[in-house]
Amino acid sequence: MSSTATPAPVQRRRLSREWIVAQLIRRAMLIVMLLVIAFFSYRSLRFSSPENLQNILIAAAPFALIALGQTLVILTGGIDLSVGSVIAVAAMTSAAVAKANPGQVWLTVASAMAVGLLAGTVNGILVSRVDVPPFIATLGMLTAGSGIAYVIGGGAPINGLPAEFGTIANTKVLGLQIPVIVMIVGIVVLGVVMRRTSYGMRVYAVGGNRVAAEIAGVNARRTLFSVYAISGLLAGLSGVMLASRVISGPPNLGQGYELDAIAAVVIGGASLMGGRGTVWGTALGLLLIQTLNNGLDLLLVPAYWQDVIKGVLIVAAVAVDVWSTKRRA
Amino acid sequence: MVVDGSAVLECRDLRKSFGGVPVLKGVSLRLELGTVTALAGENGAGKSTMMKIAAGQYRADDGAVFVRGEELAAGSIRDSHRLGVAIVPQELASIAHMTVYENLFVGRELTTKLGTLDRRGMSREASSMLEVFGVAIDPDARMGTLPVGLQQIVEIVKNSSRGAKVVLLDEPSSAISEREVEGLYRVVRQLRDSGVAIMFTTHKMAEIRDLADRVVVLRDGVLVLDEAMTAVSDDDIVTAMIGRELEDLFPALHTVPRESDVVLDVAGLNVAGQGGPDTAETTIDLQVRRGEILGLAGLVGAGRTELLEGIFGVRATTAGRIRVAGREVKRKDPAAAITAGMALVPEDRKHAGAVMGLSVLDNGTLPRVARFSVAGWLKGRARSQAVGEAMASVRLRSRGLGQDVGTLSGGNQQKVVLARWLTDHVEVLLLDEPTRGVDVGARSEIYRIIADLAAAGMAVVMASSDMTEVLGLSHRALVLREGAVVGELTRGDLDAVDVQERIFRLASGLSPRTDEKDF
Repeated sequence: MSSTATPAPVQRRRLSREWIVAQLIRRAMLIVMLLVIAFFSYRSLRFSSPENLQNILIAAAPFALIALGQTLVILTGGIDLSVGSVIAVAAMTSAAVAKANPGQVWLTVASAMAVGLLAGTVNGILVSRVDVPPFIATLGMLTAGSGIAYVIGGGAPINGLPAEFGTIANTKVLGLQIPVIVMIVGIVVLGVVMRRTSYGMRVYAVGGNRVAAEIAGVNARRTLFSVYAISGLLAGLSGVMLASRVISGPPNLGQGYELDAIAAVVIGGASLMGGRGTVWGTALGLLLIQTLNNGLDLLLVPAYWQDVIKGVLIVAAVAVDVWSTKRRA
Repeated sequence: MVVDGSAVLECRDLRKSFGGVPVLKGVSLRLELGTVTALAGENGAGKSTMMKIAAGQYRADDGAVFVRGEELAAGSIRDSHRLGVAIVPQELASIAHMTVYENLFVGRELTTKLGTLDRRGMSREASSMLEVFGVAIDPDARMGTLPVGLQQIVEIVKNSSRGAKVVLLDEPSSAISEREVEGLYRVVRQLRDSGVAIMFTTHKMAEIRDLADRVVVLRDGVLVLDEAMTAVSDDDIVTAMIGRELEDLFPALHTVPRESDVVLDVAGLNVAGQGGPDTAETTIDLQVRRGEILGLAGLVGAGRTELLEGIFGVRATTAGRIRVAGREVKRKDPAAAITAGMALVPEDRKHAGAVMGLSVLDNGTLPRVARFSVAGWLKGRARSQAVGEAMASVRLRSRGLGQDVGTLSGGNQQKVVLARWLTDHVEVLLLDEPTRGVDVGARSEIYRIIADLAAAGMAVVMASSDMTEVLGLSHRALVLREGAVVGELTRGDLDAVDVQERIFRLASGLSPRTDEKDF
């Protein structure tokens, strides 16, 4: 950034007390994250080991993909409740495909993604063309999807899958499991797309003020459609990776994941009203949740208490955000 | 039909109705390049509808819009874009969370060779775009942090920089301060000099004089004046805007007895955020006697609604004293106001008045729920009877108390909103736009009800942007501007021939006519 282009008043504010306070508030998430990490490292020797870092990342990966899709949807002011179900349908589909075509790993991945994209497409059409409220459209998909997942398996999990199916999630490249790599690539790619491309700008514009975006020539319907399609696609990918990790197709896979994804987006600073939020924020929110899960596990905190802590965190994150926004105004 | 080449935008015989109520009744007008046209008229004259049709946002029921001889596809924002017509709506169409340059470039972003956004380039270009208009705005600032006036200018720059040949501004100065208006004027003049055709809606005389080359006046959906500014006087314009006959709409007003006691006594009331530059010093004093109807006149944004809400306690007030029948009422406490005998019938029936999905009975119970319940349980019989009587007293036409309010006509909804207060004693009735969205027949009925309630001993304060309403139904009227009382008119004044013009001049801050002696 060239300093000459910046008007004088902005520069004067730098390093003043208000500026520092504002920065602290803006970086609250990052600060909390660092504090959490410091705390767990102090309390548990195992926490900061490389193996444990891998554990955190591998646990985060399937959530990361749906949280990324959810970020885009929430940026437009919508919500995608169906991602958990889409994970189940995609997992079951890929398991069925793997069983019928052992050895054809790419086909199983492609089938899961295709199923996810299809579900996203239906959501997208309902929201952008039929004008069904996103909450309702994706609630319908959530319900129908969990039914379909059972239909595919005939009411039971699909087991006895070929060993190749497990290679999708369990192979290491450059010392990292594939899902972790997919997660990192996903975050970087979408982060750049949302910040650096016209498409990203239009998503923000439609969520910020749909009428204004339309008057400016943005095709709001197409933009809306695209975010649901992307969300579905990523949920499909997440589904096949989850199924591959356990080398089976349980029809209840992914149940309730949509709420964790929404939590990550919200903790990451996005507004459910649309127009505000970032991919980086979501990534940070997600890592915070996963780090907490992992660290609390290591400290042998019961799972019920972990849920309580997570619940408090979600509300606290939004309360701080609302408070700091008011302060700024 | 042959299209004349000199007009860049031509509207032909536009007609439009909303819900069976005609808003435009065949309006034709032409805009020429390099000119500024003022589209004037009172509230509800059809100005905004006209604008939106010309911009392709609304579809006209009949008639057509031609841009450079080509017919605009009705109801298509895209088509109007293509043809170079841009509208800056009254409610700003900016994206608050995005930066100024993002707002300027969304929809036609600049990209680098790699296909990524060229943020630095957009920021730089935004800077020079704004510089052309002589406004110093940081292109990297978030739109929402700018004052409304600057947001407006960014909107205008955005639209005109996309090659628009016709720029339509809907009430451009309605939400901005006096100081910001100068910047707006400068931008509009600059656009005109660069050969753009501009049309703006307004009801402010000063703005028409300062900015327009030509003035078009709409009244009740009909074009009543279309002249070059050099050919008309201010008086011609005012007459054209308000020239309607006082219809035979109002009941005969009873006289208020001289010895009648003061029921509502407001002293030194400062309504938060009201009063233009010196907010803190703007205070309001008013008194209303038993049986008296006090009208509040003024333009949109003059602070009528805010004053009523301040008195009733739903809006914050910072200083002052309110008394009802001699007893002091706690400020900022609607429950105390209700207990003291105040009732407010708000302007926005749908959002603040009635709960549309609830029945007449439930709506009638709401303001005095405590009175109709024992230990939290509703007293069925008592409330049906009380609400039934109240509704009957205003001659509500419904299928019974169980009918949803949302399914009633506008006039009957208004009766419910009013009558729901009448289940108990009311001392002070505060009415905000009592006949908005009500058809003419029901209107005169509502006027009669208001007059009857006053005659029975209530003190009534009625805010209205409909001047005939203030003239026809007030014992006395106050004119508001920028949250302050700028004039008081007695019944005698209200009957004078030139009263409409006098109110208009007070309300718009125009100096009184030079030949006027006693003002």
